[in-house]
Amino acid sequence: MTAVDLAQNTLDGLMVGASYALLAVGFTLIFGVMRRLNLAYGPTIMAGVYLGTAAFISLGAPTLVVLVVVIIGAALVGLYVERLCFRPFGEGARAASMVASFALWMQLEEAATHLLPQHMNPFPPLLATQPLEIGPLLLRADHLVMLAATLLIAGAVTYLLARTKLGLAIRAVIDQPRAAAIVGIHVERVMMLTFVLASAIGGVAGFLIAATDGQVTHMIGMWATTKGLVAMMLGGLGSVKGAIAGGLLLGILEAHAQWFLGPQVRDMVAWGLLFVLLAFWPGGLMGAKALDRTMAVGRRV
Amino acid sequence: MDGYLITVLSNIGMISFVALSAYILLLSGQISFGQQAYFGIGAYTAGIATVMWQWPLAGALVLGALVASAAAGLVGLATLRLSGIYFAMATLAFAEIMRIAAELLVYRREIGGIETGPDGIDGFRDIRYFFANDVSPLQTCLIVYVLLGMVVAALFMAERTRAGRMLRQVGEDPLLAEVHGIDVMRVRMAAALVAGAVAGLGGGLYAHLMTYVEPKSFDIMLGVHALAYGLIGGLGTALGPLLGVLIDIGLLESTRIFRGYRMIVFGGLVAVLLIVRPRGLLDENAVGRIRHYLRRRGHAGD
Repeated sequence: MTAVDLAQNTLDGLMVGASYALLAVGFTLIFGVMRRLNLAYGPTIMAGVYLGTAAFISLGAPTLVVLVVVIIGAALVGLYVERLCFRPFGEGARAASMVASFALWMQLEEAATHLLPQHMNPFPPLLATQPLEIGPLLLRADHLVMLAATLLIAGAVTYLLARTKLGLAIRAVIDQPRAAAIVGIHVERVMMLTFVLASAIGGVAGFLIAATDGQVTHMIGMWATTKGLVAMMLGGLGSVKGAIAGGLLLGILEAHAQWFLGPQVRDMVAWGLLFVLLAFWPGGLMGAKALDRTMAVGRRV
Repeated sequence: MDGYLITVLSNIGMISFVALSAYILLLSGQISFGQQAYFGIGAYTAGIATVMWQWPLAGALVLGALVASAAAGLVGLATLRLSGIYFAMATLAFAEIMRIAAELLVYRREIGGIETGPDGIDGFRDIRYFFANDVSPLQTCLIVYVLLGMVVAALFMAERTRAGRMLRQVGEDPLLAEVHGIDVMRVRMAAALVAGAVAGLGGGLYAHLMTYVEPKSFDIMLGVHALAYGLIGGLGTALGPLLGVLIDIGLLESTRIFRGYRMIVFGGLVAVLLIVRPRGLLDENAVGRIRHYLRRRGHAGD
């Protein structure tokens, strides 16, 4: 073990963590307005990525077109999930929403295997250049693009939430849906827009992940759901900054754990950290306030 | 009965244990993504007991249930004060840790000249208790259903006691329950212990019926399915989760009507069903109506 290894692991982890962070941002937006868990979030992303892959394989679509197909595909499938699993239920039927979204997960996975029956499918690479050398460290250019895209999207979401009218409406719905409705906010439309926006962000994340891998399997659905969930919970619910921090932390932690302990223990370390954090510090890194709010709502009769 | 039917019936029976386990926690108001962990713990424990320590089956099943229950108690200490998504994620984290631990678990010994025992990611093979003791598939299926019947009967009786009502009240409104002098944490802990034991018992049976168990057998898919069965079948009675399993495994998977499109049909059906009945087919209202009807018929017969 040398300092170079440590630095290289941290750097690699940071880059992978960027994709986790993007997944967590989408997750936390949905959870924020719905207060319910969307298990079909990862499969929504998978559906978008699969549509993009199909366009790439059968029509030879260029990378940029694939990106657009993935984003629109994920957004439309997100809309479908919202209509079927979230809009019909009130907040009281949290379990029903969750199980319904699980049912659609199964549905989307089977639909995806009909679209592309092969287990592994090629995906257009983002940048096929040599890794950059920074002193003794290696840095992949496409990873750098992933990190930049994450920061850009996080910035845009923060701006949207803090500075625009829609953002104000979203924050109002997150805080107090009933009060928001009383002051004239169309709560259902805000929820739908947030849901679609989050699914589109997930689509970007899915595109970047598939493009850096150069291939895609249907496992990306489950992978995105679990990684996004863990990153979101690590960072704390309902906070964009927390989601970014949680994602990057998870990436760095996994990179080191994989290097020193192997891939199986890597996953164990991530789940173990989540368990300990939830048991002793359930607010996550930056979600203390959000947690207080949830608890306060829970305390009200 | 032909072999295929017996296998399907046995599968329905075994998965019902996990579904009941998730159902018990749902009644207490907690959504667990991790009941598959106790299924796995029960499976490995009972398998090790009969194969490596040459215990009789009954003792092995009891041990599996007890160890699973104890694990559920320990996890409960750390997680039961959490609610909603926090509890769901904590239980999922524990279950995934257990699954990976099973991938790393190697405990091999020579029994009767053959090396056997859990072998990491390849799982635990050759749990041949039923072969060695000449128990036929029909008999094993009966064992499953006798035990399942006992669990369901116990749950039915428990629902009529004070403890059962307390459980539902805690699930519906923990704050109100506390105001009524119910110790919410104790009720939840009791529910977690029972749920762990039920899943562990199912796991022990699974290991012996399948003759093998591997870490993949209790991944997140089993846990979320178990949760879904209760919500599809209904939360009004212990028969609800059983109905859920019956619909999924019995009707869709085994008859292969919708070969290749099963999940597309089933997923859509479940989503629509939950819109109409958010607490499942046999929800509290339906159960109340059925009870009322049975009582009236009972009186008419007098």
